[in-house]
Amino acid sequence: MTQYAQTQTTVSEYSELSILQRTDKRDIAYVVYGIVILLMVVCAYLMAIFGWLPHDPEEMQLELMLAGPGAPGHLLGTDFMGRDTLPRLILVIKAYFVPGLMYIAVAILLGGIFGILSGYYGNKYETVVTYITNIIDSFPRLILMLLVVAAFKPDIYYIMMVLGVTNAPLVSQLIKGKISMLRQKNFVESAIALGIPDARIIFKHILWFNCRSYLIIQATLGMGEAILLESALSYLGFGVQEPTPSWGNMVQQGANYLLQGQLWSSTIPAMAIMFTVLGFYLLGDGLNNMLEGKRQS
Amino acid sequence: MGDAILKVTDLKKHFIQGKGLMSFMQRQTIPAVDGVSFDVNTHETLGLVGESGCGKTTTGKLILKLSQPSSGNIVYDGIDIVPMSNREFRPMRSKIQMIFQDLDAALNPKMRIGQILGETIKIHNKHLDDSAVTARMYELLEMVNLKKNKLSNFPSELSGGEKRRVGIARTLSVNPKFIVADEPTSALDVSIQAQVINLMVDLQKQLGLSYLFITHDLRLMELVSHRVAVMYLGRIVEIGDAKKVAQHPRHPYTEILWSSLHVKQSAAALKVQQHNAKAGAAWDVFDFTEEDKGCRFAPRCPVFAEKGQPQACTQQSPTLQDCASGHKVACHFPL
Amino acid sequence: MNNSPLLKIEELRTYFYSRTKQAFIRSVDGVDLEVNKGDTLGIVGESGSGKSVSMLSIMGLIAARPGIITGQVWYQQEQARINLLAGLQDHVQVSKNDGRIMSVEKTDLAWQRRLEKNMLGIRGKEIAMIFQNPKSAMNPFFTIGHQIVENITRHTQYKSRKEAKERALYWLERVKIDSPQLRFYNYPYGLSGGMCQRAMIATALSSEAKLLIADEPTTGLDATIQARIADLLEELRAQTGVTIVLISHDMGVIGRLSNKIAVMYGGRVMESGPAQAVIDHADGKSHPYTEALLKSIPREDNMSSQGHLNSIDGEVLDTINVPRGCRFASRCQRINKSIEKMCLNEEPPLATVSDGHKIRCWHFAGV
Ligand SMILES: Nc1ncnc2c1ncn2[C@@H]1O[C@H](COP(=O)(O)OP(=O)(O)O)[C@@H](O)[C@H]1O
Ligand SMILES: Nc1ncnc2c1ncn2[C@@H]1O[C@H](COP(=O)(O)OP(=O)(O)O)[C@@H](O)[C@H]1O
Ligand code: SF4
Ligand SMILES: [Mg+2]
Ligand SMILES: [Mg+2]
Repeated sequence: MTQYAQTQTTVSEYSELSILQRTDKRDIAYVVYGIVILLMVVCAYLMAIFGWLPHDPEEMQLELMLAGPGAPGHLLGTDFMGRDTLPRLILVIKAYFVPGLMYIAVAILLGGIFGILSGYYGNKYETVVTYITNIIDSFPRLILMLLVVAAFKPDIYYIMMVLGVTNAPLVSQLIKGKISMLRQKNFVESAIALGIPDARIIFKHILWFNCRSYLIIQATLGMGEAILLESALSYLGFGVQEPTPSWGNMVQQGANYLLQGQLWSSTIPAMAIMFTVLGFYLLGDGLNNMLEGKRQS
Repeated sequence: MGDAILKVTDLKKHFIQGKGLMSFMQRQTIPAVDGVSFDVNTHETLGLVGESGCGKTTTGKLILKLSQPSSGNIVYDGIDIVPMSNREFRPMRSKIQMIFQDLDAALNPKMRIGQILGETIKIHNKHLDDSAVTARMYELLEMVNLKKNKLSNFPSELSGGEKRRVGIARTLSVNPKFIVADEPTSALDVSIQAQVINLMVDLQKQLGLSYLFITHDLRLMELVSHRVAVMYLGRIVEIGDAKKVAQHPRHPYTEILWSSLHVKQSAAALKVQQHNAKAGAAWDVFDFTEEDKGCRFAPRCPVFAEKGQPQACTQQSPTLQDCASGHKVACHFPL
Repeated sequence: MNNSPLLKIEELRTYFYSRTKQAFIRSVDGVDLEVNKGDTLGIVGESGSGKSVSMLSIMGLIAARPGIITGQVWYQQEQARINLLAGLQDHVQVSKNDGRIMSVEKTDLAWQRRLEKNMLGIRGKEIAMIFQNPKSAMNPFFTIGHQIVENITRHTQYKSRKEAKERALYWLERVKIDSPQLRFYNYPYGLSGGMCQRAMIATALSSEAKLLIADEPTTGLDATIQARIADLLEELRAQTGVTIVLISHDMGVIGRLSNKIAVMYGGRVMESGPAQAVIDHADGKSHPYTEALLKSIPREDNMSSQGHLNSIDGEVLDTINVPRGCRFASRCQRINKSIEKMCLNEEPPLATVSDGHKIRCWHFAGV
């Protein structure tokens, strides 16, 4: 009867309970996959800016139009003008990289300001911020993007800027929610009572210690979304224009030859989109589960 | 006892709150603190008791300038802090501190105990180098009987009593003279509660602190406080020496409060129940939409019922009157 | 049949797995209890001693998986005596040689289904529960009237809505809610804490359950309201004869309402017996933990000359690394040279010291 009190229960005794670790392993797999994709993206970016491309992206080989992957000298095949697909895919990453970061910066900066104004300083700004975010939210994104592209020019920077602005309400909501949660626990009040300056409370206590994982997750998920939306626009012909390559317009051009049985020049960029977006989403999801903990129902 | 370190006179805080669905149209004023006056002497513990919702926490926060009073004066060490701006007040913050009711309140859930303590030490002593900060941290931990290895823990890894100790250490880190302790033990077990109370009593002796000790536990109040103020719906109804108030309450409300502790209820308390079966808390019984000029306790008051609902109680708000030396009561018909 | 207890708990264990600590939290670690018909059993102990978890295990309400539960809970129905934890052996394999739990079923579906099957017709109907926080335990989207009526139509013979409503109003009146006609249509958030607790008690009683488990029904309420809730429970017990298991960490409330008391510490029952024996030391014997708990109540006669309250030094037991000896040894004041070795190395048995009074302490193990 008393043997229970004498046993130190450790996990090694209960290794059969593998179910306990199962979910953890899945999250790790997500994150690893996401990081691999991220590394590939970074590599591609470096290759593009240093010009270490496997082939000249502009060179046309008319005798090798719409070749499948594995064609001599062209690892991923060629497009309808006989240009090599691989260096063009890589170039697109270079074109996406800085605008993508800009998009994240805009979303987080704008959202952060809104969130802090309405969450921390409360009543005075809350109504104004709510109005602004509601206006932004009530516009369908794709239409807003089309309008901006039509008014200015179909440039990836404009598209990402619009994305950044339209994502700001979400970030602002998250930060505001977090602040009011912390406020409920008197945590902000106690910091004020101790004489800690406002700026330090906002930046160190709230943003750095309590929101950073949120923001990282948001940025990762946002990247995936940005790629998806840009591709959609370019596919429709409103985004990045020929001859500048973009994954969207590459899929679109390839698609013209689908009915002729030429599958590859469309599916290769489509797969690039799929794996990259999936990578960002899984990374975001895995990070979310690991950093924030799953909500138990 | 020395002279008053804190003098609060006619302090008021009226919250304005939307009511119901059309909240922006229909505003209701909640007089959460409505003309509260008391002094706290140096090295003294003044207890503040009352039902939940009667405005105890709000009073504490007003003293800390965490919210701005609607009117009234709070004089700390000869200086009125009400008209001060937040910037002007910041240097004084280290003198007045608060222990929050919620155990986790003071503690950023994502920071380690060492970071939490180190930060406040550095903010108020910019010249200190790292080793001096660490030395001060150890000193504080020793003061509150915590082990040094807790410095690397996160708040969630501590037990309730330990969290409370860290909270106290953090308030002590700025060398306060006056501490508002808002129900410091309400979330703790009796066995742990005793440890924390003993610690607070010892610290008061060691460091010469003064406390405003907020609680709804009357037994504790009686043992810990020197004087006690009883609050009902935003007003102080009785104030005086703790032992005297406990043994000879003069206000009918105080009488009911204290008698609820005993297994068999006193005659007065039973009378309240018979007279008025209203089980709700005070705010439910009192309707602020009506003009409020009488005694707020009247709807629940056994004396009021007994005396046949006298005019005085409904027409005139009773003020605090001396009834013995240092013992004041706000009632037209004190017991 | 009549002498067998209404509820008999044997060797109940409930373990949770802590992923961060990679070990089991042994919240309930071998609890034996008996509740006779008409009794009020008070369970006291510091928070974290496993009071709530043991009652939730009985009710089959442990949602967090993997919660390992073993033991037997015998519930005496009109005709039969049933084991509420029946069928556990299919899910938890107990190793033959030392009785240790070896593994848990990997899917929670079967686990849940087993619970549902065992508890059918028991939960709510035979055993009702009152929770500490009435606001979170009642459904915020339905009026309290609706919730009581639903409970009545499901569990009692009052099946029509009209009858059920009458009955609901009767119960609201019974728990002394003023103007029950009005409150019937109130939502839980519209009520104050004390009133909400009353509504919750009305809901629990309305199914006319035989056993009422009240988990800290007065904690967190104001002193005046606490006293009235306690009055109410006392009155209802006297009138309806319902059997009550009352959980609290407040010795005052327990001492006032219960005739049997069990003291829990670190997932174990340390002392159990009639109230006079446990609280008033009628037989002159008491467990060091109970004694320390009673002494730490803030009261004039518990104060030392330096104005200190008596406290129990140290912290509540960490139920992951349970010590080999007595669970209370590290905080115990009565540990002495002659029994020190035993206290530190072997857990004392729950020894009977007088009629119905049991103490788990080496001081009494030899009696
Ligand atoms: N920020 C606020 N806005 C509106 N009402 C408030 C606010 N803070 C407190 N109150 C109200 O003031 C009253 C007093 O609250 P409080 O001081 O917290 O009471 P206590 O600490 O005595 O329990 C309560 O009725 C509460 O609802
Ligand atoms: N779902 C859960 N998962 C993990 N640990 C739990 C869970 N529920 C309770 N515990 C742990 O079980 C112990 C006993 O809890 P409980 O029975 O609620 O104590 P109390 O005696 O205060 O009611 C505590 O240490 C608690 O942390
Ligand atoms: S067994 Fe020993 S340690 Fe445990 S309570 Fe008794 S005397 Fe104290
Ligand atoms: Mg309060
Ligand atoms: Mg509990």
